Amino acid sequence: MWLPILGLAVGITLGFLFSVEIPLGYVKYTAIAILAAIDTTLGGLRAQLEDRFDLMIFLSGFVVNASFAALLAGIGDLLGLDIYLGAVIAFSIRIFDNIGFIRRDLIARHMKGGR
Amino acid sequence: MPSNARPGGAPAPFAARGAVALGFVLALAGYLVVTQFRTEWQIRRALRIPSTQLAELAFLLRDQERGRAALESQVGELRSRMAAYEKAAAEGRTAAAKVSRDLQELRALVGITALRGPGITVELNDSTRPPRGGEDPNKTILHYSDIQGVVAELWAGGAEAMAINGERIVGTTGISCVGTTILVNTKRMAPPYVITALGEPKQLVRALRHPGGQLELLAAFGFPVKATPRELAEVPAYRGTFRLEHASLEGKE
Repeated sequence: MWLPILGLAVGITLGFLFSVEIPLGYVKYTAIAILAAIDTTLGGLRAQLEDRFDLMIFLSGFVVNASFAALLAGIGDLLGLDIYLGAVIAFSIRIFDNIGFIRRDLIARHMKGGR
Repeated sequence: MPSNARPGGAPAPFAARGAVALGFVLALAGYLVVTQFRTEWQIRRALRIPSTQLAELAFLLRDQERGRAALESQVGELRSRMAAYEKAAAEGRTAAAKVSRDLQELRALVGITALRGPGITVELNDSTRPPRGGEDPNKTILHYSDIQGVVAELWAGGAEAMAINGERIVGTTGISCVGTTILVNTKRMAPPYVITALGEPKQLVRALRHPGGQLELLAAFGFPVKATPRELAEVPAYRGTFRLEHASLEGKE
């Protein structure tokens, strides 16, 4: 349990140490990347709780989802449409879904453990 | 990939590889969140607006830039217009100088300025001999036509400016007789009549002394006449007025 938290801490530290200024035009890509990361994390957590974690699926899901969202954002930029909003919404829905499942899994486990 | 085994229903520890992957993704997420936060913070500090309003700002900026470009082109236009005006002003100055030079010449030609230069003076007087018995006394006094004749011969001889007894001869000068005196312009005159003419002195004398000329005629009738070449003669300015009441410029109503 401590390794992911360590990873988060390392990431935050790196962010504070190395000041990379994100150009304004790429802010939406950052947003998508953040959402993809959160989504993947929660998905992994859920899979872990449901005992069906697969590293390949976990990583490929992160890479492919983030790439496709970035592609959508790029196409949206070309077309002048905020298509990346679709990716944002999809990620958000998945995040909420995963949170819901994690909550249920945790409650179920707690109930089970309590008995 | 092997799924993680959960020993004995206890809370499953993350498999090492899964934990590493999760940690990696979380590290990325943390890094991005912090970076984004710092960027946003900088934007807010620099522009005092959240980045969600940047599109509005960009629109304003584009608007201002377009306005600026329009103003710049206007500046260019105004500059070129100003250059044109300055050029015109410079030309106007030279034109004005030329006009004033022309005006000076015309004043001299018309006779409203005093002039000086080489010339001659011609002195005419009534006859000194007493009239014989029964003779018309008119024959012993100078008439306006005698003066006119001399003046005409002087013009013909190349005189450039002339005055009779200090009265400048101009284009509208009339020489006429009023009773026993002669009227030049509006001035009454009595003998002796001194005609001052500017021009080449020898030429003017020659013009007067030609056989059958006015001076010879007057001398023959016993009038004392005297033509003197002058190194420097002066004619005064015309003191009268010019007025066009009936004449107007051709082509202008």
